[in-house]
Amino acid sequence: MWFLRMLFSEPFFVVLLGGTLTASTPIILAAIGENFVESGGVLNLGLEGMMLLGAFCSFIAALLTENIYIGLLAGMGAGVILGIFFGFLVIHLRINQIVAGLGVEIFVIGLTSLLHRVLFGSEFPVVADITAKTPIPFLSTVPYINSIFNQHVVTYISWALLPIAWWVLYKTNFGLNVRAVGENPVAADAHGVNVYRTRYMTLIFEGVLAGLGGAFLSICDLAFFVFHMTQGRGFIAIAIVMLAKWNPSKLFYGAFLFGVCHSLTFGLQILGLDVPREFILMLPYVAVILLLCILARNTKLPGAFCLPYERE
Amino acid sequence: MKKMLIVTAVALLAFGMLFQTAIAVPPHPGARPLKVAVVVPASATDQGWNQMGADGVRVLQDKWHLTVEVAENQGYGDIKPVLRDLARKGFDLIIAHASGYQTMAPEVSAERDVRVSIVENPDAIKRGLVSNYEGEAQKGAYLAGVLAAKMTRRNVVGVVTSAEVPDWNRMTVGFMEGVHSVNPKIKLLYNVIGEAAYEDAAGGKRNTEAQIAAGADVIFGMGDGASFGIMKACEENKARDGGKVWFIDVIGDKSGIDSKKILLGSVLWRFDVIYEMMLIDIYAGRFGGDYRQTLENGGIELALYNEIPQDAMNALKQAREGIVSGRINVSNMPGTKEMRDYKKRLFR
Repeated sequence: MWFLRMLFSEPFFVVLLGGTLTASTPIILAAIGENFVESGGVLNLGLEGMMLLGAFCSFIAALLTENIYIGLLAGMGAGVILGIFFGFLVIHLRINQIVAGLGVEIFVIGLTSLLHRVLFGSEFPVVADITAKTPIPFLSTVPYINSIFNQHVVTYISWALLPIAWWVLYKTNFGLNVRAVGENPVAADAHGVNVYRTRYMTLIFEGVLAGLGGAFLSICDLAFFVFHMTQGRGFIAIAIVMLAKWNPSKLFYGAFLFGVCHSLTFGLQILGLDVPREFILMLPYVAVILLLCILARNTKLPGAFCLPYERE
Repeated sequence: MKKMLIVTAVALLAFGMLFQTAIAVPPHPGARPLKVAVVVPASATDQGWNQMGADGVRVLQDKWHLTVEVAENQGYGDIKPVLRDLARKGFDLIIAHASGYQTMAPEVSAERDVRVSIVENPDAIKRGLVSNYEGEAQKGAYLAGVLAAKMTRRNVVGVVTSAEVPDWNRMTVGFMEGVHSVNPKIKLLYNVIGEAAYEDAAGGKRNTEAQIAAGADVIFGMGDGASFGIMKACEENKARDGGKVWFIDVIGDKSGIDSKKILLGSVLWRFDVIYEMMLIDIYAGRFGGDYRQTLENGGIELALYNEIPQDAMNALKQAREGIVSGRINVSNMPGTKEMRDYKKRLFR
């Protein structure tokens, strides 16, 4: 079994594992945010746009200041602004959430491309030397698993946020309010919960995380901005939220599974297995769809999911 | 009187012939500036396919007094509304610069009676209305393969591509033949980032890192926006022997962002060469042909960056001469299946 030997040869395995974790980071961050928004009864298909705007703004800020943390803050700020804008459309104006979400996504794709063109013309600036990883002493030298502990600081933050998000959503008053607003906004309102404010807060929180996820792509994983560089990661995050049945503690499994399948697409190609390449390339998406069919079949959506709320 | 009549007749005849010649000879381009539009699927600043396509027209703008419009980021879906809009604006030539536009553009051409140029669909050529253009990039890629084979230290080279489209397949085959011609024992790794992952820079980086981990120390990347990720992986990672991972690019020139000096070369595609042929043919009234970028006409060339050892330079020179003289025949394989089968045969 030569290909198993190659797959589990240390350099190759380390890269596959490290690549899996890096690839899943922006998806985890975006999925945590979307988990809160959907638990509050709003579907944000503009998540991809939030990530893309975060990627663009963080890149510009990092390029100007040569400081990665200012870049990350700018990415989060951009996500927040877009979150408030989306909230205005669907909470105040009560525009159809699906239409508004897709509109926001298409708008951001065009906007970022236009701004990149206006700002840089035919040049292609790169943010130099700010994308270093943060190895954890000792653990980052353990054979085979060292790449787990040699990630960017944002990746560690994304892991830490998973249990925190679960705790906030299921063990705090705010989390209870979010779930109540998502299940029955009329009843929640009657009990003194401000539905509008709660939904806005979830969108702002999502903006922070989706913007951070986008920023991770452009200034942590890479060092530049490319037109539509999110490449559907926002939509994958939405699918993973449904896979996890709105439970943040399970988001990691979905994102990790997608990351593993994604890593396998290039791992299997290098191993040269005689499997049709088309099948290898669709592996991550097939896995997510299959799991959605199996696990999310009997999922109970939040009662007021995707429904606008108007106080009487 | 008779003499005067004869002189007048001869003078009129001469003037008539002169006038006829003046009609036959194309007028100076400045007399009737052409309006040329180029439609590209992604950003015209990608230092790759899209930018080179747009820049190809811009380069000719002053020389031919052109009115130029670049419609960028048009995606890979239905671009007929864009083409119709350009036709309505009175453009004399619309260059539909993507293989994905090769059937829609001729349809709009027939519908609106406007000249279009398409990529890789010679069957759609129509006299006066539809021209086709393709690059013989496999020959440039052959040279890139020779260079890679000369520069690899561990005898493992990689190809990372964003899709398996005809141009990328041709270049993959050319690259493989170039590598094989120098050393048939070299191991070749081949990765496709996605079905149409032209802008997936992160995916390009992941695939390249895996190839480097598997031993590759020279990467041939074809990816448009994704190629920035491929280059980034080459910059950030060391080869298994601790040395540099070399990168060979296609279509554009990324030497300006090569801060780590890992860029060996690029198979440059100069579209201005064939666009100019199209403009000449428009004036000459023979638009509607099949245009090729070749090593011979300068449409394809291997640009070299950083320090290339003399041994490799000599090998490149010999290979180039061999191709131009016809002594070396580089296969032209646009099909994905035939490319894959050929790869299996060549690198067992």
